[in-house]
Amino acid sequence: MIKVIDLKKTYEVRVPVQALKGVSFEVERGEFVAIVGPSGAGKSTLLHLLALLDTPTSGKIEIDGSDISTLSSHQKTAFRLKELGYVFQEYALLPELNALENVYLPLMLLGTARKEYVKTATGLLQTVGLGQRLHHLVHELSGGEQQRVAVARSLVNKPKVLFADEPCSNHDTENKGIVMSLLRRLCNELNQTIVMVTHEMEEREYADRVVWIKDGIIEREEKIGRRVPS
Amino acid sequence: MKRLSEKTQPMFKNLRASLFLVYKAISRGNKGTLALTIMVITLAFVNITFISSILSGAVDLAYRQAVDNYVSNIVIEPGQDEDYIKKVASLKTRINMIPGVISCSSHYSLGSTITYDVDKDGDDVREISWTVKSIDPEEETTVTNIHNFMVAGRYLDKSDRDQVIMGREVSGGYGAGLEIQSLKGAEVGDEITIHYSNGITRDYEIKGIFVTQLPLADMAVFVTEKEMESVLGLRDRASEILVRTGQRGQEELYIQRLRQIGIVDEEISPWIRYIGLISGITQSFEIIKRIVAFIGLVVAGVTIFIVIFINTVNRRRQIGIQKAIGMDEKIIIASYVFQALLYAVVGIGVGLGVTYFVLVPHFISHPLPFPMGMVSLLITRNELTASIVGLLLVSLVGGLVPSWRVARENIIKAIWG
Repeated sequence: MIKVIDLKKTYEVRVPVQALKGVSFEVERGEFVAIVGPSGAGKSTLLHLLALLDTPTSGKIEIDGSDISTLSSHQKTAFRLKELGYVFQEYALLPELNALENVYLPLMLLGTARKEYVKTATGLLQTVGLGQRLHHLVHELSGGEQQRVAVARSLVNKPKVLFADEPCSNHDTENKGIVMSLLRRLCNELNQTIVMVTHEMEEREYADRVVWIKDGIIEREEKIGRRVPS
Repeated sequence: MKRLSEKTQPMFKNLRASLFLVYKAISRGNKGTLALTIMVITLAFVNITFISSILSGAVDLAYRQAVDNYVSNIVIEPGQDEDYIKKVASLKTRINMIPGVISCSSHYSLGSTITYDVDKDGDDVREISWTVKSIDPEEETTVTNIHNFMVAGRYLDKSDRDQVIMGREVSGGYGAGLEIQSLKGAEVGDEITIHYSNGITRDYEIKGIFVTQLPLADMAVFVTEKEMESVLGLRDRASEILVRTGQRGQEELYIQRLRQIGIVDEEISPWIRYIGLISGITQSFEIIKRIVAFIGLVVAGVTIFIVIFINTVNRRRQIGIQKAIGMDEKIIIASYVFQALLYAVVGIGVGLGVTYFVLVPHFISHPLPFPMGMVSLLITRNELTASIVGLLLVSLVGGLVPSWRVARENIIKAIWG
C-alpha cells in the first residue's frame, strides 16, 4: 500500500538540519501504524512528507505503486484532496464554519452535489457521536468534540490513507479513549489504513504495528496485533 | 461539448467553493471591519465622483455659457483677404433650411474707441479701445440669450439707432471682476461717444447692461444692425454669422452641412475655438480631477490591501489547513479577491446611492456659486464608469496581492510557523 524508500529530509537553515536520514518502511492496506519517538526524532517530518505537506530532499514514497513524491504542487493538492485524510494535532478546523460545513468542505471541493455532501457529512458526524452538534460553530464545541469533527472531516473523502499527527495530545483521558477507539474502529470495520504519529505510550496500544524512530532513522519496528475497541 | 464541460466543471466547483468561503467569512466575520471597509470605499467613490462631477458641472456651465451667450455653436467668418461675408440675407435663409439648425444671426464688428465723460464737463473722461458689434435684436434672441440677462435698463429694439447695450465688464459695474480697462461705473442712461475706426464718431445712450457671468460675453458692446450699417455704409454684409444648432457636440457634422450648401470660401469654426481662456481653466480642472481620482483610488486600494493583508496574516494557519485538506491555491486566492470585490461593489453601490439620492438632489436645490454662475453636479457616464472600473481594479489588486503572497506559502510554515 505505502512504500517508503530511503526518505531523507534536510532543512536548509543557517546550519542545515538533517531531520530524516534515510527512512524505509512499508504499510499494508488496512494496517494501523504508529510512529513513535522522542521529540526531534523526525516523526512529524516523516508524516508531513507522507501526507504530501512537504517535499523530501531525496527518496521515494509510493502509494499503490505510484511514486507520489514526484508530483507537482498542483497534483499533490489534488492527491491530498482525493486520496488522503489528515488529522492535525490541534484540531485545525476552520472557525468560520460549523461542524457540518467543516466536514463537507472537502466534498464540496471535489464537486459533489450539495444534497450528497450534506448527507455524507451528517452521517460521519453521527458516527463520531456529534449528530446533535452539526450546526455548532467550532468555538461552541469542546476540544474532544472538535477533534472528532476533524476525524470526520479526514474521512469524508474516503481516503486511501488517514494520517494522524498526535491526535490526542491535548485531550483528557476520556477524550483520548474516544478518539483512539474511533480510529481503531475505522481500521477494524472499514479496513482504513492509518498512519499515526504519537509520543504517548498508551496510544501505540491501539496500533497494529509501531515504528520507532530516533535521530531521523528507524530504530526498530514492533508488531502489536489488533485490538478490539471497547 | 465534452471538452468544454471538462473545463467548466472544475471552474464551477472552484467558484462554488470560493464563494462559499467568502459568504462564510463575511456572514460570520467581524461586522465592524466589514462596515468600516465598505465605508472607506464609499467615501473614496463619493470623493472621486463628487469632485469630478462638480468640476464637470463647472466646465459644462462655462461651455453652455459660451454657446448660449457668446458664440453659439458655430461661427462663420469671412474667407482670407475678405473683410465681410457677402449676400448675408440669402445665406442665412439657406443656413436656416439645414435640418437641425435652430437659427442664425449676423454681426458686424468694428474697432473703436469709447469715451465716457462722467460729469459731461471734460474733467473725468474715461476712454477704452473696444470692438463694437452689431446685432439684429430680434434675430439675436433666437441664437444667444443675452436678452435674458439684462440687469439694468432694457434690451435693444430693432429700430434703436442711438442706443447701445453693454456687458458689465465694459460698464465696470455690477460686480465686474476682470482686471481690464472699463468705463469704471457707466450706468444705464449715461451717454458715451464711440469713435469708430473708419473715422465716424457717434454719441449713444446706454440702454441696458447685461451680466451673463461669462466674462467673454460680458465684454461685449452692441449697437443695432441698422445703426452699424449706417456707420459702415454697407448692407447685406456681416463680419460673422453665428449658427445655433440643436445639440452641443455635433458641430463638425453641421460644419459639413454648411459646406454642402455652398459655404466654401468662408472660415467655419466650432464654438470651442473661441474660448481660449475657458479652455485653460477646463484643462486645469481636468488635471485636478485626475489627481483627486488617483489619490482616491490609491486610498481605496491601500485600504482594501490592508484589510485583506491583515485578514490573510491572521488566517495564515487556516490557509495552511485549507491547503492541507486539498484546497487549491486558486480557490483561496479567489475567495479573498471576491471578498475585496464584494467590499468594492457594496461600497460603490452605497456610494451611488449617496451620490444620486443625497448629493445630486442637494446640489440641484443648493447649487454652488462659481464666478461663471451657479454650478450643480454633472455626472457623466464615462467618468462614472471610469470611477467604478478604477475602484474595482484597485480592489482586485488590493485583494490579489496579499492573498497570493500568503496562499503560496509553504503549508508547514503556514500552519506551524
